[in-house]
Amino acid sequence: KTFHFGSCRVSMSLAEIRAGFTAIKANIQSRDPVRTLSILSHPHSLHKVKSSDRCCMTHQLFTFYVDKVFKHCRTEDSFVNRKISSIANSFLSARRKLGQCREQNNCVCGEESTEKFKQILANYEGLNVTSAAMKSLGELDILLDWMEKSR
Amino acid sequence: SGELYCSLPNPRNVRFESINMKNVLHWSAPEGTDDGVLYKVKYAVYGVGKWIRKPECRNINRTWCDLSTETSDYEEQYYASVKAFLNGTCSDWMETTRFNPLTDTKIDPPMVSVSSTDRSISIILTAPEKWKSNPEEESISLLQVYPGLQYNVSVLNKKTKKRWLFSISNNTLVVPWLEPGTAYCVSAQIHVTTPVLDSGFSKEHCITTLKDK
Repeated sequence: KTFHFGSCRVSMSLAEIRAGFTAIKANIQSRDPVRTLSILSHPHSLHKVKSSDRCCMTHQLFTFYVDKVFKHCRTEDSFVNRKISSIANSFLSARRKLGQCREQNNCVCGEESTEKFKQILANYEGLNVTSAAMKSLGELDILLDWMEKSR
Repeated sequence: SGELYCSLPNPRNVRFESINMKNVLHWSAPEGTDDGVLYKVKYAVYGVGKWIRKPECRNINRTWCDLSTETSDYEEQYYASVKAFLNGTCSDWMETTRFNPLTDTKIDPPMVSVSSTDRSISIILTAPEKWKSNPEEESISLLQVYPGLQYNVSVLNKKTKKRWLFSISNNTLVVPWLEPGTAYCVSAQIHVTTPVLDSGFSKEHCITTLKDK
């Protein structure tokens, strides 16, 4: 499927990522006891990101997941670990495509999305690394739901 | 909050059951309890710091509570929780898993209307609407909620038992080159590609093509 992030067009299979996440969602979310804090959706909702900022925000979020989330999400369950690494590989390839857009200057970071991403990092740093990574992974459907609106 | 010491067994299987985003909390009574158990319910928006009581579901003896209004924003995710009371004692709060209205709802089949000429059938499909508690509210088709919504349509020739399957994104389909004076039965299903959601097939709508002129 082709997604339009601002002026950037990227084809990727969200269905594969979505299927992988659905298979481990209950397991991952049950490891996150903190109901009162969200990494991605509060206080700023992704759904309020302007369409012109979508490319930059998506690229930043993919980088966030590759650099700060997947590597800290090892579990004792090999099935879950396999699904996590398959999702991580899909993110790596998608980020590469988004990176090409950035090089062609189609991926401008507006002030608003920069602020929102700072808040996401602040939410992440408010927890210890493992809890923050596991919570972020458990919120993958929030990211996917938002991205699917960019079809 | 000055709660009693809670020795009552817990409500079981606390979960959301959702159809077209009519989001109803359901649970089973605590093990070993018969009548007389009362319940209260609270819910929380994931990522927001407080639990909110549901007054209409306070001291109720039924084992469900409609939280559709409270969970109508499908860009948010939710938790809900139930506590049981009996003869002066109580249970612990028992929570659902995280509920995402967008991915955790079931979708009804589409409405199907069929008309025919002598050699073709025209099919019009209508996706269900997002549940609304207040009839005055604006109607939102699930087509608006799920950009990837498609229809799978089955057309069966009753005489030859031959069946065609079509997958379409828009809501109308004309099936040409059919036999005059023949009965055809149509049923349809909704298929959302991501998140993956499939409705059941609608019941069959049969129609006979006009006889040859």
